[in-house]
Amino acid sequence: MNLALKELLYKMADDQLILGHRNSEWTGFGPILEEDIAFSSMAQDKVGQSLALYTLLQTLGESDPDTVAFTRNANQFHNCILVELPNQEYDFSLIRHFLFDTAEALRFEALGNSSYEPLAQLARKIRGELRYHTLHANTWMKQLGSATEESITRLQNSLQIALPYALGIFEPSPYEAELIDQKIFTGEVALKEKWMAKVESVLNQTQLHLPDWKTITPVYGGREGKHSEHLQPLLDEMSEVFRIDPSAEW
Amino acid sequence: MNSLDPRVNRLPQLNEAISTKAPLDQFGTYEVFVQPKEGKPFQHEGIVHAPNLELAWVLAKETFTRRFTCVSLYVVDTRDVYVSPLTEGDKNVYDVLPQVAEQSGSKKNFEIYHLVKRGKQHVHVGTVQAVLPQEAMQLAGKQFNNGKVVFNVWAIATDTIRFTNDEEKELWLTLPEKKFRDASDYKGGDKLKEFLEKR
Repeated sequence: MNLALKELLYKMADDQLILGHRNSEWTGFGPILEEDIAFSSMAQDKVGQSLALYTLLQTLGESDPDTVAFTRNANQFHNCILVELPNQEYDFSLIRHFLFDTAEALRFEALGNSSYEPLAQLARKIRGELRYHTLHANTWMKQLGSATEESITRLQNSLQIALPYALGIFEPSPYEAELIDQKIFTGEVALKEKWMAKVESVLNQTQLHLPDWKTITPVYGGREGKHSEHLQPLLDEMSEVFRIDPSAEW
Repeated sequence: MNSLDPRVNRLPQLNEAISTKAPLDQFGTYEVFVQPKEGKPFQHEGIVHAPNLELAWVLAKETFTRRFTCVSLYVVDTRDVYVSPLTEGDKNVYDVLPQVAEQSGSKKNFEIYHLVKRGKQHVHVGTVQAVLPQEAMQLAGKQFNNGKVVFNVWAIATDTIRFTNDEEKELWLTLPEKKFRDASDYKGGDKLKEFLEKR
């Protein structure tokens, strides 16, 4: 159970930490002040959620959260590649936010019934944050996905780029059967099915076109530590201050 | 009044007719009201820019309720906020409100807000039923004018407000734990003092 549970917790925590860091890069650069604040706040929520998950890992014998977050190299991270990609323009960040947070909200919704009670408790505790994140993403999708020719074209192009990586969120886990048998998690396959239905239902309310799922080839590798060239520079920057004095009190 | 500060120039004048607040030349503006605790009245916190009422509500949540305690919020288009004249000193605005005759027609609910201290926020004081906002203010004068000087009154038709529904109240579940968003939580002064004493 321990290995399966750790694999699940690591990939979730790493997803949240890396995307939290990426989204925080918009702080001070958001399209309007109010959106800048909202996006930064959600980035902070994600880093907070990763801390909660790393803290659970510590109770299972792993190192303390700061050590785990700031001292590993890229090949020791288990996040999906989607979350490490550079921000590009705001349309891409919004599409990624929509695709990833839809999956994350559904994942935590399922984990609310996990047999691993600390994870179930965390899922219930942060349900309000996840509700806001998906509400924010869905509202913008509906607004910009039907607004002007430029906004629709931009989102459509970003959707095409992001979808193969988004399917990488559900990269098959070697512990899938074990996690399901032990009622820790309903599994990546079931999660992907729910996610696809949800993504479709939101995009159907816009003028965006969702390609046939069968034509999209998922980009895998992140869960096994095989990442794009973008992750290591992100980690170097994220841990820059920590590495100056790992024992500093903040 | 003529000031270099555009906010001052936007203030309503004494003998002006009751009208809506003027929007600015960007995205439309929406007024944000926050309820800090259950049982406490909603109070005006500020404005957000947004393309529509729903996004205004979404953006108001993080713009105005990411730090201090909050259990609910609502937003309304600035153009739906009816504003009375503004008084000062010991002049009660209810004494200078233009009088309107009782209106015929179907009545609707209006939310009423008072400004009782300059520099503070407008606070919700109750609901009245009226046909027109001007009439709503007049009725509010009879119901909520308890002798304390009121400098300014707002009236907003209830059906123009985007409220928080009961399910959405869980958005603020983890807010009390986010003390790190408050600068005082870092106890910077204490740490600096300790550092200087060690030197």
